Amino acid sequence: MGRIVAWLQERVPVSAEQLAELTNEPVPNHLKKWWFCLGGTPAYLFVVQIVTGILLALYYQPSPETAYESIRYITNEATFGWFLRSLHKWAATLMIAAVILHQMRVYFTAAYRRPRELNWMIGMCLLMATLLTGFTGYSLVFEQLSYWGATVAANISDAVPLVGRFAKQMLLGGDEYNARTLSRFYILHAAVLPTTIVLLVVCHIAQVRMHGVTEFPDPQEPPDRPRYFNFFPDHMLSELIIGLILMIVLCALATVLPATMGPKADPLTTPEVIKPEWFFYVSFRWLKLFSLSFAVISSGFIVGAMFVWPWIDRFLRWITGIEDISVYIGIVATFLLIGLTVWEAAVSH
Amino acid sequence: MTGGLLAGYGTFGYILGEFVYPARQQNRGWMFVCAVERLSPGEALDFTAPAGTKIVVARQGAGVAAEDFLALSSICPHLGCRVHWEAQGERFFCPCHNGAFDRSGSPVSGPPKAANQALMRFPLKVENGLLYLEAPLVSVACCPHESGPRNEGIA
Repeated sequence: MGRIVAWLQERVPVSAEQLAELTNEPVPNHLKKWWFCLGGTPAYLFVVQIVTGILLALYYQPSPETAYESIRYITNEATFGWFLRSLHKWAATLMIAAVILHQMRVYFTAAYRRPRELNWMIGMCLLMATLLTGFTGYSLVFEQLSYWGATVAANISDAVPLVGRFAKQMLLGGDEYNARTLSRFYILHAAVLPTTIVLLVVCHIAQVRMHGVTEFPDPQEPPDRPRYFNFFPDHMLSELIIGLILMIVLCALATVLPATMGPKADPLTTPEVIKPEWFFYVSFRWLKLFSLSFAVISSGFIVGAMFVWPWIDRFLRWITGIEDISVYIGIVATFLLIGLTVWEAAVSH
Repeated sequence: MTGGLLAGYGTFGYILGEFVYPARQQNRGWMFVCAVERLSPGEALDFTAPAGTKIVVARQGAGVAAEDFLALSSICPHLGCRVHWEAQGERFFCPCHNGAFDRSGSPVSGPPKAANQALMRFPLKVENGLLYLEAPLVSVACCPHESGPRNEGIA
């Protein structure tokens, strides 16, 4: 054993002390609160997605003739196929929820302010990439709702000024949904977007390491108490406990509410009641309330504003003199998001 | 040096872009629908193009010119879902975002009304007493389907 260690140390000349120094980032005390550990949750769920996704890819066949049948095989015939597919589905749902909650936590605690503006933008890119991954994954099932969801989404992109038509053609591989569309969704879902997410997470963590975690000191904390604790093993242990709880929740959800299959996609008949996945309920309701051009342009404006919010926040504070102006705007926006989502969920049309 | 690198990688990028960008397809053609006298004024029939596109063909006037006929697409101009005829409300209804159209394809409510988007009309022509329309020839998705039930009372 000693010889093996010596052989390894000769080739990888990093000591245990150096390794500890590299990983042992001092973590502010507020991260002992679970609410502040949401950043690690989507990362853990992303790993679950990669593992279950690779396993599902062993059987999935991305073409209109075979996609639905291959998912039926995974769900009904492959050993534990229903379980892995359900884990994949629920991990996606929780990952999207976790990314949204993490972004909200960063927003409401103003952790995006100077010098962390770039990290906020990386976080927004991660949110967009996660939503796109959810959308493309749902489309792969090739059932009625996912087919029509993809058709609607492609036509929404068509309405974007200047680049819309090009984006739609690139997404669908033609002017409309065709025999080569599913393979594009599959490549995006299984290769392009996961790679993008990995690269963005690397940039995100690098930024966190460079600037440190934003500190929220507790005024009631005794001044002589250390302000930091160790990442390894203390914070790592918290993340592992969260991971364990998540795995239990995922297994319970996958068992109690397993992923089902709707009717196979019929390009000639739109179902009487059509809904996207829950995270697009807001956009779907928005599209029902306003004309397409207004809905698309206003949505683009809102997303664009979210990207540059650190600068908008600074401008608003300067012009109003109210330090927490973004918090008030955020509360209104959150109620609006929840309201539109509940509205869309509650009605058929 | 810089120019060479840009030219080399630029050419490579151009080839990649051309590969990923979908090739254009000429996928429309003229198709025989029926003899002109097959449809009386006010009558309509369902026509299914080879690509599976559902089209409602109606006769509006007593004449025998192409202008006396109407061929409406079943694709909602808002976001591409399929509309269906609701006999009770005498309207085409799109379940995606609650768009509705009258029997001539004009928008009456929902987002299409706000944007003044009517159902698309296919070009028609009459030759030797036979009615033709121009529609997609290539299947867009997968499964060819048979014609649906006749839309009673559309025209």
